Amino acid sequence: MSGIHVQDLGKRFGDRVAVEALSFHVRPGEVFGLLGPNGAGKTTTVRMLTGLLQPTEGEATVWGHRVDRDGEPLRKVVGLLTEQPGLYDRLTARENLRFFMKLHELDEAAAWPRARHYLERFGLGGREEEPVGGFSKGMRQKLAIVRTLVHDPKVIFLDEPTSGLDPESARTVRDAVAELASEGRTIVLCSHNLAEVERLCERVAVVKRRLLAMGPVRELRHAGQALEVRVEGEAERFCVALAQLPFAPNVLAEGPKLRVMLADDAQAPDVVACLVGAGARVHSAVPTQRPLEEVYLELLREGRG
Amino acid sequence: MAFRPKRALAVFWKDFLDLRKNVGLLVSMMVLPAVMVLVPIGVVWTYVRTPDHADLRSVALFYDPTLPLGASAARFLIDKTLTDWFGMFLVMPVFVPILIASQSVAGEKERRTLEPLLASPVTAAELVTGKSLAALVPSVAITWTAFVLFCVGVDIVAWPLVKMPLMPNALWTFGVFVIAPLFAFFGNGVAVLISARVSEARMAQQLSALVVLPIVGMVGGQVAGVLKAGFGYYLLQGAVVLVLDALLLWASIRLLDRERLVSRWG
Repeated sequence: MSGIHVQDLGKRFGDRVAVEALSFHVRPGEVFGLLGPNGAGKTTTVRMLTGLLQPTEGEATVWGHRVDRDGEPLRKVVGLLTEQPGLYDRLTARENLRFFMKLHELDEAAAWPRARHYLERFGLGGREEEPVGGFSKGMRQKLAIVRTLVHDPKVIFLDEPTSGLDPESARTVRDAVAELASEGRTIVLCSHNLAEVERLCERVAVVKRRLLAMGPVRELRHAGQALEVRVEGEAERFCVALAQLPFAPNVLAEGPKLRVMLADDAQAPDVVACLVGAGARVHSAVPTQRPLEEVYLELLREGRG
Repeated sequence: MAFRPKRALAVFWKDFLDLRKNVGLLVSMMVLPAVMVLVPIGVVWTYVRTPDHADLRSVALFYDPTLPLGASAARFLIDKTLTDWFGMFLVMPVFVPILIASQSVAGEKERRTLEPLLASPVTAAELVTGKSLAALVPSVAITWTAFVLFCVGVDIVAWPLVKMPLMPNALWTFGVFVIAPLFAFFGNGVAVLISARVSEARMAQQLSALVVLPIVGMVGGQVAGVLKAGFGYYLLQGAVVLVLDALLLWASIRLLDRERLVSRWG
């Protein structure tokens, strides 16, 4: 069973619940986003799925391996890029990579062409013999990505993969992620960079200890659609009238602009009629999808309770 | 989960390579052996330089009131120094692995390298074995090298008085090749376990280094004439440390599982 299957997964550290009742699956070839604020349980989830922590509830399989009992075979098919590059500064780039080749018991002669391919791709070709301590933050991050890929993993967990990278390098990494997914690998991306998540991920899960929402990025954004209305004069004076509508939408007013959150497209004419009835001169009314960031923040606010 | 020696050797290879490039640590590792070799050579040289000094006999009689009238006090004190110094020499195989293991184990946490390492197929047992080897092999090699230099130095400075090689003798040979590795294993085990509980390599070093105090205390007892060192005395020390080594091994296997390492170190 390839991909990732998670069912009611939970983790407690003593009395503290880090993750509870988490369920999702990720297909081979899919880039899946795991979103959540600091301390939401993303790292704990990734650690459970890479066999570093034992779940206290539920079960999960990663590329057919149970996370609670198949530690060694699981870690052979998994690649993990941690938030910090975690490289050995006194060793050269080549020595850092060789160490992980040895840990994976790879035939170095066969593994090197692959490593060299990624080193070249990330602009580190010819820097193999330099101590990593002299590398810039971006170079270290790129080398850590190469290390994550050196054993040809089927499932890849990337925690903030473009952190510290310049725009060009970040684009190279994003292209590489898309290419790895097109090769049939399963990729889980943990990031606070929502624009990047929007660009790379087909589906996302928003977690805050438990699952707050999950679905294709487009659907999540659609669920958070809005009507942007431009009126004459200060828009704030119409907020009271809009609050009288049967579906009492959330409204944001800024200068002549109103942003009315809708649960359904069909509510848009009622909003316009209400405004006209309240004496507004409506210049334009444009249905928009809210940026993922706004949806994400609203989900977190709702999840706070 | 199967123990794969190749993976333990990979950890050893990496740590040994890292140690070779850590100039600061190498220098601090060399200070203690230099002291352990030069101090007793200096003491022996002092006795040899003034063998007929009247005070030497008083000192010798303090340690052995039955010393025959015609016996050389200088020779007696040289023999006593060599016997007693072995107790002090044992500080080295305990202390050097503490320096290395604290850096390599708690250092993984400080450098944030532990999580990628534990996400590889390496098991906790392989990790601890590899890291222990990386601390033990240099420590034992340094101890043995220091022993060779010590023997050569003592024999050179003692020759004018005794006209024969004093070192290596049976006590030192047995001690350096059998007891010292047991002490090194002990120092490493303590450092590994303490490193797993604290967040900084420096703190791990400072706490682990406290284990040398009993050894130094016993040498103090020998110098004060309270303890009488000899083959049986050191054999007993070795037996006690062997038991402690077994306990440390048991504790390491029980305490250093992957989850504990990630929870505490990650």
